[in-house]
Amino acid sequence: MANISCTGITKSYGAHPVIDGLDLTVADHEFVVFLGPSGCGKSTMLRMIAGLEEVTAGRITIGGTDVTDLHPGARGVAMVFQSYALYPHMTVADNITFGLRRLGVPKDEVARRLRDVAAMLGLDALLDRKPKNMSGGQQQRVAMARAMIKTPKVFLFDEPLSNLDAKLREKLRTEIRKMHNALKTTTIFVTHDQLEAMTIADRIVLMRAGAIEQQGTPDEIFDRPATRFVADFIGSPTMNFRMGIIRNGVAEAGSIRIPLPPGRFAVAEGQEVELGLRPARMGLVAGDAPGAIHGRVVLIENMGAEGQVIAEVNGAEMSFVTKEFRRLAPGDAVSFALSPDHLHIFDRASGRSLLNKDA
Amino acid sequence: MVSLILRNLARVTLAFLVLIALTPILWTTLGAFKRLRDIVTPVPKLFFSPTLENFATILGSPTIRDGLVNSVIVVAVAVGLGAVLGIPAAHTLARHARRWGDDAQFFVLSLRFMPPVAIAIPFIVIYLDLGIYDSLGGLILVYLVTTISTVIWLAVPAFERVPREIEEAAAMEGCREAEVFWRFSLPIAAPSLFGALVFTFVLVWNELLLALTLAAQNATLPVVAASITSLGKEVPWGVINAATVVLVLPPLVFIGLLMGLINSMVRAGGPKKG
Repeated sequence: MANISCTGITKSYGAHPVIDGLDLTVADHEFVVFLGPSGCGKSTMLRMIAGLEEVTAGRITIGGTDVTDLHPGARGVAMVFQSYALYPHMTVADNITFGLRRLGVPKDEVARRLRDVAAMLGLDALLDRKPKNMSGGQQQRVAMARAMIKTPKVFLFDEPLSNLDAKLREKLRTEIRKMHNALKTTTIFVTHDQLEAMTIADRIVLMRAGAIEQQGTPDEIFDRPATRFVADFIGSPTMNFRMGIIRNGVAEAGSIRIPLPPGRFAVAEGQEVELGLRPARMGLVAGDAPGAIHGRVVLIENMGAEGQVIAEVNGAEMSFVTKEFRRLAPGDAVSFALSPDHLHIFDRASGRSLLNKDA
Repeated sequence: MVSLILRNLARVTLAFLVLIALTPILWTTLGAFKRLRDIVTPVPKLFFSPTLENFATILGSPTIRDGLVNSVIVVAVAVGLGAVLGIPAAHTLARHARRWGDDAQFFVLSLRFMPPVAIAIPFIVIYLDLGIYDSLGGLILVYLVTTISTVIWLAVPAFERVPREIEEAAAMEGCREAEVFWRFSLPIAAPSLFGALVFTFVLVWNELLLALTLAAQNATLPVVAASITSLGKEVPWGVINAATVVLVLPPLVFIGLLMGLINSMVRAGGPKKG
């Protein structure tokens, strides 16, 4: 009903293209997150779908209709901005209902829908207030209500939680996802926060320098990163990287020896590669366990339920996460290992993952 | 304790400074209600029997009455047209021509660098040729140079302070550019724009030189007030004082009204009764 398809989208400022020939489809009811570092073109992409930014070349269709040259208001999309963008001279109720009143929707219909969205977002007590006297979280709820009341075909969120404090961010994130589960409206959500993307998305579109680096479910992105860039961008604490070499079916990097399951990686004997070890996929082991990595504890970061241990291995730091961090102290010798099947190997030159597609 | 003394000291100093600043105006206002002999007396009089004679002379004199009317017409039209033409221009500059915005703004401002005489003399020649010398229309035309440029200069930053996302949110609701300007940008920028209009009003209301050179019969109030000094052999101090009060009053009232309006707008956004 409201799938989105972008074909050959190009955006140039002057002669310099920031997005070059990007293809993307979003299925109906899907919750897609555009993720990437600042300047990767994710917001520009969203704004082109919204109609706030012209496309230099390419077509955008929403629900089968070509909207490339349509006014933003005629595309059937609603947007929530990072800065909330509430109308400061109107009350909350007027902010929410402006679009409907402008279209001449009958008064009792407007009032009914206002009641519904206000109840859904817990805004009933605030309807007579002006935006200025409200907290950031309340303002963003109003902005969401303003988007919802129009029952658009597509919701667009442009970093809606970035201006909120951590606690509120988490709460609103959950609410947005619940709202999507209830309404099933096709949604595109832009963020630079990988955790936010992981928790909220059906599918993540990870962008870099105006192109899609990888797209897939949060699990695919986390466990099967297509490139070193994706592996580095996703996950906290950040993945450990080591330069290594393949010898006799074992990945070697200094004193580290990790046996490779046969057929899992497309590597050649003697190939120089880069190894990626996720801290969250490692744990303490006995010193003589196969594949054990030996180091000396430098620092322990207590995260409550678990702790990040930063150890010195072959003169460089490597971190891993364990629940048993309280047994350790800086200066201790420590042995830890990667869980089987969680090694990542990247080509040194191209940065592409050498994991076999069907492995 | 020390801070209390310091605070009171600061208050006394402030009061003293305000007194110094306001005394001439107060003295002029008092003088406007005095008879001539109460003014020229060697010992200044604070207590006297007030009279409205001076105001009667002022408002009864056709030149002054005409001057006041001329001033009101010229300034109202010049500021009004300046706002109608300048404010949309400023919005366009702020939103669509930011690249040239600084240059345009500087050009507009540079019109104000020129000494008014440099404008006045060519204008006399041109106006005489066009047959609009000594007409209110001609005066309005030359004041428009000042009002439009000042309005643009002050309104561009006012519109730049309107968050772009708000205009975009309005566009998402289906508003076209004109509607976005009229229903969002303008009301949101209004408090700053009022300030710009007040400033522009004061500039042209007090303008003397162009009015003096471009109009003879249709003089505005500053011209008339300046010429009162030559009314008779005896300098009519009371009348001059009253003329000054009449001249100062409209801007004060205007500013007062606008300040009230702005305050009420700001307060309307303030905490509401629960």
